[in-house]
Amino acid sequence: MKKSVRAAGRPRQLAMALAVSAALAGAPTFADETSCSPFTPLIKGQEDLVYVWTLGVKGVGDGSDKLVTVDVNPASKTYGKILHKLSLGGRGEVHHVGLSDDRRYLWGGALDSNKIYIFDIGTNPAKPKLVKTITDFVQKTGFVGPHSFIAMPGRMLITPLSNNKDHGGETGIAVYNNKGDYVSHQAMPKGESASWSGKGDGYNYDVGINPQKNVFLTSSFTGWNNYMMDLGKMVKDGEAMKRFGNTSVMWDMKTMKPLKVFSTPGAPLEVRWSWKPGDNWAVTTAALTSKIWVYKQDAKGEWQAHEVGTIGNPADIPLPVDISITNDGKGMWINTFMDGHTRYWDFSDPMKPKEVYKKKIGSQVNMVSQSYDGKRVYFTSSLLGNWDKKGKDDEQYLKIYDWDGKELKEKLSIDFYKEKLGRAHHMKFQARDLSTLKPLETAQSLPAVVARKQ
Amino acid sequence: MRSRPFILLLLGLLALPACERPAPVDTPLNLAVPLGLPPLPVPPENPLTQARIDLGRTLFMDRRLSHNNTLSCAMCHVPEQGFTSNELGTAIGLEGQSIRRNSPTIYNVAYVEQLFHDGREFSLENQAWGPLLAGNEMANPSIGYVVEKIKALPEYAGRFEQAFGGRGPDVQTIGQALAAYQRTLVSANSRFDRWRYGKDADALAAEERTGFRLFAGKAGCSACHSVDERHALFSDNRFHNTGIGFANSMGLPKKHRVQLAPGVFVEVEDKALASFEPPQPDVGRYEVTLDPADSWAYRTPSLRNVALTAPYMHDGSLATLEEVIEFYDRGGIDNPQKSPLLRPLGLAPEEKRALAAFLKSLTGDNVEKRVAEARAAQPGEMPPEKDPASAYRRSY
Repeated sequence: MKKSVRAAGRPRQLAMALAVSAALAGAPTFADETSCSPFTPLIKGQEDLVYVWTLGVKGVGDGSDKLVTVDVNPASKTYGKILHKLSLGGRGEVHHVGLSDDRRYLWGGALDSNKIYIFDIGTNPAKPKLVKTITDFVQKTGFVGPHSFIAMPGRMLITPLSNNKDHGGETGIAVYNNKGDYVSHQAMPKGESASWSGKGDGYNYDVGINPQKNVFLTSSFTGWNNYMMDLGKMVKDGEAMKRFGNTSVMWDMKTMKPLKVFSTPGAPLEVRWSWKPGDNWAVTTAALTSKIWVYKQDAKGEWQAHEVGTIGNPADIPLPVDISITNDGKGMWINTFMDGHTRYWDFSDPMKPKEVYKKKIGSQVNMVSQSYDGKRVYFTSSLLGNWDKKGKDDEQYLKIYDWDGKELKEKLSIDFYKEKLGRAHHMKFQARDLSTLKPLETAQSLPAVVARKQ
Repeated sequence: MRSRPFILLLLGLLALPACERPAPVDTPLNLAVPLGLPPLPVPPENPLTQARIDLGRTLFMDRRLSHNNTLSCAMCHVPEQGFTSNELGTAIGLEGQSIRRNSPTIYNVAYVEQLFHDGREFSLENQAWGPLLAGNEMANPSIGYVVEKIKALPEYAGRFEQAFGGRGPDVQTIGQALAAYQRTLVSANSRFDRWRYGKDADALAAEERTGFRLFAGKAGCSACHSVDERHALFSDNRFHNTGIGFANSMGLPKKHRVQLAPGVFVEVEDKALASFEPPQPDVGRYEVTLDPADSWAYRTPSLRNVALTAPYMHDGSLATLEEVIEFYDRGGIDNPQKSPLLRPLGLAPEEKRALAAFLKSLTGDNVEKRVAEARAAQPGEMPPEKDPASAYRRSY
């Protein structure tokens, strides 16, 4: 890759510390654009493109995983069209993608093959190009299932889900540089230690960064054995159901040391921070127990986790999955996979959030991403290849809705099976014109914003 | 605790003087069999040599032996989990495909006469190819594909030739190497063995001794889990219908107690899971013999190391030894082909506790060593640069 990166070659920890320290100085607060890293330039106006990380399905088209690019700018002549399909030539349980610190590269992981793909989305955003495939992730780390990709300055923080010893949930956290070279890895906290408070279970899932507080928060899911298994089979398997993460971990961002392990039972998944100026809280939802957890500092400055709400009827296992927080931290979309609903929660008081709206999106729904201004909400259907429903309930789609604060109105729907694509999973937005993007060189430009006219 | 002598068994064709230097890696080995086990059966055409054992261990631990390089034998037979999987009732294979049955432990698998839960294979050498080729397990497309892939992996360069007198990887040598390693996974000299066969009266506590008396007496366990005068396999190597397979196949309505988090459970009915994969049919031993009398019969597993090999039964449906004892105390599940050996036992609570205590005394004393040996294998992770099918060119 040509556009590489600044700290490569320096001693690892020092390089990370220096880069993060520089980034922290005077960093302004910016709003969340779905789930981006705060180090990634944001698209504040109309997004032009959405990339959909799509799982190949045997018997559907070429059966391979794909990066699908869709034109989503209503002003475009090709609005709603699939502009590009980049087939990866195999199935590896692709899952999440993450943007590099300059938004010119998209990293995508595969939970089964453990490959990590790096796409150039800067040269021609409408036509991503695969520029590197990382194949040494397991060899270097011993971890399996690279899941979340969150940009740090010059680095990509990667949270895996499993390991190559037993395919269980004990795993770690890894760092690669922007060239796609391995930098470091470490195990998740397990048990008790003088180095952290609380009791770790060694599991991991998502990661969210708060540079202002010099912390990042990780959550926990389950290992390969479970995420690759048919969901119905797993629910009936008493041993399998004992193997879910029940913790989340607050880390020191500079040193990458765990500070505190929280007991948040039942697989806390996506991590989001409120980026509203003055806010210093994060939120997760637990997939199995259907609880909402808010992480906030107490009067003494210590991080505490608070159970603040219940989504649906936990006895029905609605399975809350992806979430998307508004840029002012006052609202959050929560998808419940089993009943195919999205739910809007009022987070005006994050300690007392309440559900104020609910709509069925499909027979199943997983990912949700909202535009920066919250006016457009995107949904996709696939959770995991073998967790998705079977038969007629296995709808696979990208749907875009307009949101006026009261009602979701469907604007666009693409049937991913009809288009011979596969299972539609994670989404990331992109702008066609990245000329206003500034690389992360100084604190003043962190994070740069694509300020475009509405 | 005082040490006990091992029973030494001459396994190979050559007896080496004690003062001689370590035998060449291709010389048949004398393998010490732990107290409590009978002589190790070794087929004459595949003598145990260090080279074959080491090679087989590496193959066993190598994830690249699956089609997409994600599953080794050891991912379902996890060394630290009793060479089974404690984390799954029934296994999953390539790309998460469902497998109907629990991964059996391979401790002491050398003594199993008919392999797999249904006894469809008869030698470890042949059995090795079952999972390698099964479409829902390691899912390799063909024998030749596996052979060519191993040939292309630099970690195996010269190792087959060293172990098999110049012969490279092929359908026979791959099976023989895997069999040689698995045959060495003997584990015994448990506290029970030291008590019964080592004449150490203090090796078992009183409750454990009571448990053994029940095991061999009132509870009738030893009718299938055999214990002989000089050794014990804890299996008759035969097939029995306990009713668990019958109940699964007949689709008796079920509510599932589902754990959402530690201490948090809900009940889920089958119909709530109708959008997902239905249970796969499984008629057990009948699928091999086509004899209706064998319907829902499964091989008697050994009970050695049973404390390490949860969950239990052919479908992993019972989580603890206590649940297993309760199941047999009820006499299994009635069905037309149920084993006549199963009947309600009327065990008192203290008798059940004693049985469980006894079963937990059957853990061999070499478990940590076996785990360490397995993890020392350190196979590579990088697949061949070219797919074996793309790289293949006929050489004759």
